[in-house]
Amino acid sequence: MALTITCPICGKRNGYEFRFGGEEKGPRPAEHELNPETWCDYVHNNNCAAGVQNEWWFHRDGCGSWFTIFRNTLTNLEVDGPEETNE
Amino acid sequence: MNRFYQLPTLRIDPTRKKTFTYLGKTYQGVDGDTVAAALYANGIRIFARSLKYHRPRGLYSMDGECSNTCMEVDNIPNVRAENTLLKNGMTVKAQNVKGTPEKDFMGFMDKMSWAMPAGFYYNTMHKPASIWPIALKQIRKVAGLGKLAPDFEMTGKYDEIFPTADVCVIGGGPAGMNAALAAAENGLRVILLESRPWLGGFFEYRAAQYQNETPLFQRARDLAKQVADTPDIRTFTHTAMVGAYNNNLITAFQTGGADDSFDQRYIEIRAQSVVVATGCIERPLLFENNEKPGIMQIACAHRLARTYGLLPGEKAVFSIGHDLGLEAAIDLFDLGLKISCVADIREDGQDPDLVEIMRRKKIPLLRGWVATDAHGKKTLNKVTLSTLQGTRDKEFACDLLVASAGMTPVTGPLAVAQAELCFDNHTGFFLPANLPVKMHAAGRMLGLNDALAIEASGRSAGLLAAADCGSSVDTSLNEARADLENLPGPVKGSKMVTAPVKGDKTFICFDEDTTVKNIKQAIKKGFDVAELIKRFTSASTGPGQGGIPGHNLPLFVAQYNADPDVSAKPTTIRPPLVPTFIATYAGANHDMCKRTPLDALQKKAGGVFRRIGVWSRARYFSQDFTCRDEIENVRNNVGLFDASTLGKFRIWGPDALKALQRVYVGDMSKIADGKIKYSAMCNEDACIIDDGVVIKRGENDYYFTTSTARAGAAVEWIRYHTRYDGWNFNMVNLTDALGVINLAGPNARKVLAKVTDADISNDAFPYAGYREFKIKDTIPVRVMRLGFVGELSYELHTPSSYMPALWEILEDAGSEFGIRNFGLEAQNVLRMEKCHLIIGAESEQRTTLHDVGLGFLWDRTKTDTKTVGAFALKQTEKQDGRLKLVGFKMENSDARAPRDGSIIVDSKIRGYVCIARNSHTLNEVVGLALVDESLAETGTKLEIYEDECGDERLYAVVALTPFYDPDAKRLKM
Amino acid sequence: MENIKKLSPVVFKARPVKTEVRDNQTVVLEYVGEELGPYLTDLSHKIRWDVQDSNLDAIKPWGIAIPETPGLSVLENGFLINRMNRTQASVWHLAGEKPDDPDDSAYTETTDATMFVALTGRETFAIAEKLTSLDFAVPDKKAPFLLQGPIAHVPCQIVTLAQNGEHCGLLFTCSRGYAQSMIGAILEAGEEFGLRPAGETAFNKFLTQ
Repeated sequence: MALTITCPICGKRNGYEFRFGGEEKGPRPAEHELNPETWCDYVHNNNCAAGVQNEWWFHRDGCGSWFTIFRNTLTNLEVDGPEETNE
Repeated sequence: MNRFYQLPTLRIDPTRKKTFTYLGKTYQGVDGDTVAAALYANGIRIFARSLKYHRPRGLYSMDGECSNTCMEVDNIPNVRAENTLLKNGMTVKAQNVKGTPEKDFMGFMDKMSWAMPAGFYYNTMHKPASIWPIALKQIRKVAGLGKLAPDFEMTGKYDEIFPTADVCVIGGGPAGMNAALAAAENGLRVILLESRPWLGGFFEYRAAQYQNETPLFQRARDLAKQVADTPDIRTFTHTAMVGAYNNNLITAFQTGGADDSFDQRYIEIRAQSVVVATGCIERPLLFENNEKPGIMQIACAHRLARTYGLLPGEKAVFSIGHDLGLEAAIDLFDLGLKISCVADIREDGQDPDLVEIMRRKKIPLLRGWVATDAHGKKTLNKVTLSTLQGTRDKEFACDLLVASAGMTPVTGPLAVAQAELCFDNHTGFFLPANLPVKMHAAGRMLGLNDALAIEASGRSAGLLAAADCGSSVDTSLNEARADLENLPGPVKGSKMVTAPVKGDKTFICFDEDTTVKNIKQAIKKGFDVAELIKRFTSASTGPGQGGIPGHNLPLFVAQYNADPDVSAKPTTIRPPLVPTFIATYAGANHDMCKRTPLDALQKKAGGVFRRIGVWSRARYFSQDFTCRDEIENVRNNVGLFDASTLGKFRIWGPDALKALQRVYVGDMSKIADGKIKYSAMCNEDACIIDDGVVIKRGENDYYFTTSTARAGAAVEWIRYHTRYDGWNFNMVNLTDALGVINLAGPNARKVLAKVTDADISNDAFPYAGYREFKIKDTIPVRVMRLGFVGELSYELHTPSSYMPALWEILEDAGSEFGIRNFGLEAQNVLRMEKCHLIIGAESEQRTTLHDVGLGFLWDRTKTDTKTVGAFALKQTEKQDGRLKLVGFKMENSDARAPRDGSIIVDSKIRGYVCIARNSHTLNEVVGLALVDESLAETGTKLEIYEDECGDERLYAVVALTPFYDPDAKRLKM
Repeated sequence: MENIKKLSPVVFKARPVKTEVRDNQTVVLEYVGEELGPYLTDLSHKIRWDVQDSNLDAIKPWGIAIPETPGLSVLENGFLINRMNRTQASVWHLAGEKPDDPDDSAYTETTDATMFVALTGRETFAIAEKLTSLDFAVPDKKAPFLLQGPIAHVPCQIVTLAQNGEHCGLLFTCSRGYAQSMIGAILEAGEEFGLRPAGETAFNKFLTQ
């Protein structure tokens, strides 16, 4: 995997050191707030942005941190922020 | 054949002979020869027969750009003979030949070409469909490249290396070397990749003048020395770059020399910045029979003489489109080659100095002329030249035709890096229009031809790469750019694509035997884009990866279509750019697996090991794979099991309990001191992913276990599901720190009592209890009374370094009872008899906690803990149509056990068998299955379908569980 | 007490010439034919701890301040302390008398959790680059420093001890279970450079250089 990911602790590393943790969707809803629709939105429904998305990664082979990055799904390149397209 | 031994450009050592065999005959080459050069030196002209038509093929590019010189070397097929250095004792064979390359019994195929138009397979071989298997067999017999013997085993040593670099320069010619030097000047670590065994590229073999009486080859050597003297530059020669990926990940492979410890090695470089300076190859000239042995490109002929000391022929005709052709003609003439005529596609624009030298040497030059046909039965004996319009022609007898339409840039590295390439009218090149971030192109591939301009361009690219790495290069970059501006820019390229011919035997792709006629046929069928024509005709899909057809294919299509709206685009090429052994990609291929602290002891005890997940584990302790003795010994006596692979963790801190509550379905606030709490983890969908026990060892300090398979993901899982909470808790993975021995069987207490002073009586240490004490006053153990195998048992967790000692102590203490090892399979049967689950065996991705009957573990009252899976546990509790876990026995008491994974059917698939064994304990076949809830009632008949069982079925009946010790008395003994 | 022995997960084929029994464990001080490096030394018997706390800076293992920035290490009084992340550090006891067990719940002894080896000699990085793409010889970093990442695809903690010319060395730990595979991979990668097992004495000499 040629993707690189910048771990806040270890710096830029090969993507295969990391595990993907899904799109950033905000904190876990409380159990009493959930109904089947909101549960589905939180657990399964994704935006699948064709562009920059904010997502979670885990540095499995390294420091063991969970963190978020911005990645342009069209180029599969990490970008600095939500607006950058890295073109 | 006489060789030049004195040329200063030679890369051979004629004093060191090398012996090899070709087609059973022994030949001699010299040190430095490639296989192809050595064969040529011995008079071999036909190296192979072509894929479809079995046409003779010979030396053409000298850089392995096509399958012409793919040969079988030491039983390895498709070795590129032009790129492979000769070694003593090599055995070389020709490929796709019935007979010999000279006399190939399949040679008649060439006359059949009329019957094989473009798309011939697509159109014919499937009508009727029954033809295909027969046709396939016949085609495979006659067509193809090398053959692999069924018992073939790859020999040689393959390795890998992941060197670190700031800047990676691809191409070790003058531009690449200048780029590397410029980047290294800025203190950066540079890697320079060169496909030939030496640096120098375009300059390296040429005697023409560079500057101030210095020949080009001398300049190449001077630069190479500078590179070698720069410690920050690491050079990999004989290294083919094969792939470029996101964020400047470059892959390559290197062929080892005599002093290297590897035959080939895979190289992977993640560079901050990349310079591509791969130069040019020649654009093949398209005319009739343009691939007949005896026809070769300029650099091939020139390098045969200058690098390998071989005069490429006796009497030559040149048909070229670039000044390099004139230079080569003059140089080869001086070396003794007779030249009948030099035809230059260009009507004008030649270097006047070269034209003047040719005039003086009386080498005839025809401007605006081109080769249209090559004659000769197998090898060349005559060439027809004509004017570009085909209005006049002339014939010349010759044994060598040096043919080339012009230059074409080596854009492969840029293309695989997803650079955009656009056709440039001036140079006739596809030039990079949009390079990936931090990638730069330099040198001849941009159309430069002037030696100083090539170098300046390389230097400037090297400085840009340095700037990418944060070096401050403004001043030097401005200077380099000013230098470049004052030097000659890109030269005008020849426009001609094909000679004025019909194209029946004009080969655009040598690898796939695709002719200009085939391309025209495809266009007539309506294919208008080069990319699709490539698919339909298979042009440029061979081992050369577009080397020969490369840019000719899109240019020809554009010209033939004459459609101004369609801009020519090169067809897609993919890594590997040159043929690479799978063995090279595999590299060192270290087999990394985990072994428990008891590995050596269990091997000694006759353990039969299997790789299970990341672990190597003892599955059996005898060749009886039903494990009868191992099982009976546990049931009646006492056995020892290595459970070290269990996941083991410490979690502590003020919020540790909250974290446990989040991931476990049970209520973790209710763990009593000295007791174990069994619980499970679910995912968000309420599907069971893990089970294990939790122990409270102190205030806010817990020890918990996970199944073997989940050990690697436990910390990750807990941290993931608490990532928004900012809780203060700590975790340490102790999986490898502590080994685990399960001492199980009715005599277990007697054994343990012999080695500890602790009170382990049933009252003092009851079932589900947890104690910490020492074995023989020395070895600390954490002991759990569990009953996974359904007997009195003690799970002893002990520091891994003490594990072998503990094992021996227990074996010794148990010897009076006949204690013995049991392995994974015995455990599997024992726990199945007791209907204890293994997550992943009795569950799959869709199986919920409720489905496997463990719903009672879920504490529905802890609604404020946001427990993972809790909401779905509620939703799925009463859900219809689920697969439920049931026990079963066979209907017919003497029936054998169905295979694990067999499916349960009626008119549809209704479930599957998780495990079934012939139980020695129960004296019948028992098993567990996941079945549709309509079949889950006790007493329901199950119809079992095994793979390849035909009409036969096995029948079982849903039975009460557990099968063994339903009152659970034995665990609590 | 009878003869109860602890065992290292690392086993070399080489024959020991000098050994010493320490804390129920036989430690090889020297192997036959150590000659010149590069060396691979088993240090798995050296005591190691994991230290975790939300306020890590308040903890001073054996009086030594833990480096503030993750990735930095400090070598003091025979202790090597590596900052792993915001809340976690590893402490490796390399030299000196066996220290007392720390009386603080922040510590977890992890000696047995990992195998622990030293790779030393001029060719250290040439061997390492055959096993990983991690960059251990970063010119602008001052040794010792920590990297957490894969060697031969196995997650490791690696500390560059020295990176100047002849004097190069790495220390690293990985899960104990991988010891045999890892040692095999390193020795295979180092074969062309003459990598050989060495006893603890050779490492001690390296450490005092």
